[in-house]
Amino acid sequence: MPPDVSPLAPVRLPLEQRAEAEALFTSIGEGAISTDEFGRITRINPVAQSILGYKESELLGEWFPKKIVAVTADDIVVNLIDRPISKAFLTGRSISEKIFYRRKDGQKIPVAVSVSPILVDNKPLGAIEVFRDITLQEEVDRMKSEFISLASHQLRTPLSAIKTYSHMLVDGYMGKLTTTQKQSLRTIIGAADRMNELVSTLLNITRIESGTIAITPKQLHVDKIAEEVLKELSLPATDKNITLSLHCRDKSRAALKTDTLILKEILTNLVSNAIKYTPKGGTVTITVRPRAKDVLVHVNDTGWGIPKYAQDQVFSKFFRAPNIVKRETTGTGLGLYLVKGLVDALDGNIWFKSDEATGTNFYFTIPRTKQTSRRTRGQPLVASQQPETRPEDYS
Amino acid sequence: MPASPQTSLYDQLVRVTHVYLGPAADRFIARQVQNHLHKPPDQLSKEDLRQLIDWIRVAVSLLTEDSEIVEEYAAQLEQLAGGEHKSKRSK
Repeated sequence: MPPDVSPLAPVRLPLEQRAEAEALFTSIGEGAISTDEFGRITRINPVAQSILGYKESELLGEWFPKKIVAVTADDIVVNLIDRPISKAFLTGRSISEKIFYRRKDGQKIPVAVSVSPILVDNKPLGAIEVFRDITLQEEVDRMKSEFISLASHQLRTPLSAIKTYSHMLVDGYMGKLTTTQKQSLRTIIGAADRMNELVSTLLNITRIESGTIAITPKQLHVDKIAEEVLKELSLPATDKNITLSLHCRDKSRAALKTDTLILKEILTNLVSNAIKYTPKGGTVTITVRPRAKDVLVHVNDTGWGIPKYAQDQVFSKFFRAPNIVKRETTGTGLGLYLVKGLVDALDGNIWFKSDEATGTNFYFTIPRTKQTSRRTRGQPLVASQQPETRPEDYS
Repeated sequence: MPASPQTSLYDQLVRVTHVYLGPAADRFIARQVQNHLHKPPDQLSKEDLRQLIDWIRVAVSLLTEDSEIVEEYAAQLEQLAGGEHKSKRSK
């Protein structure tokens, strides 16, 4: 026999308030499910029934994590400890996330979920999860990404021609040029390079957003990659008299298996940003710190910093700090959005500390191993875990 | 096996939890302590643990459907906290 199906029963609200709460629960335009303290479904509203394809009677009293299966975009079942409802109880806070639920007919549907613990006297009595079907929104995003991808590819071809012929002209393959003509061509090449970088950034973002970014892990030394990046960016640094340096504690332990190109892209973006947003005569320093489960990379600059009020938007698409826009007109605001996506793709974490007086410190971690999970009865409930790399652990 | 008197309460808690959650035990308990009590894990006291048990119980209830396991685990936590276990399992 299923338990008491009313989520509000333990709270013992007055009848009127209870009726009001239940009417609200039933009539809201998003799917809503409540569970008791054992994770059993105590109530499900009509929108949730429609999204999930179940009748109320099929869900009441059922164990929520088993009945409503959450999967990733790749159709892999989400580890129970990583489900929004579990996170809500692990943190004691409301959690909002995008995941996929499997309907009764097996169809996978993207949903935006928000889940909050039900508390009475600060004791958890269950949870309420509200979710909406975002299939249409996802489709629009996918079409937008496809358009960017197509447009980017189409832009690359004429850019290659512009660069090739400009270089041939500068190098004198088509006759001798005057100094003014050469300078003009160098401006064209510089602009084409910037356009090429923008196209690459857009393509990478499209790959990340569509989940098609390919990761090819190879054994590498993080300090060596950092050295290469600093070497490649030495020219713009020299132009601004900025000192670049690299520190690595225990180089022998800076080796790990990850994607070389992605790591390089992350570092290139962070260091070029640091150079761009640091005044003349400043310093940019990379510190590589090997640790037991990961390698921590710290990029420090003595630049203009990010204003406190704008810091929560740093990893947003098209974000440019207001204090920077005044000084540096070029830039798309896509670099850090891309970096965040790339670090996520490598299962790392990224965070930063910035002060307008002293500059900015970006930190990111690259895990040494990517573990898989397995769960069978009689075994531990959670067989493995993602590397513990939360920002507060290093602050 | 009784814990040695030198072992901290946090370590004992992780050891008990490890039986149920495996390698995730440390992270699971550390997050509970940090998020709910806002203190470093090594400063966990028996009083703190008593406050945490309800949260831990609910969180574990979302990792296993078997309420017997949850109760067995909760009983061990109550024991560590120096209290008496009161089953919440529905009849």
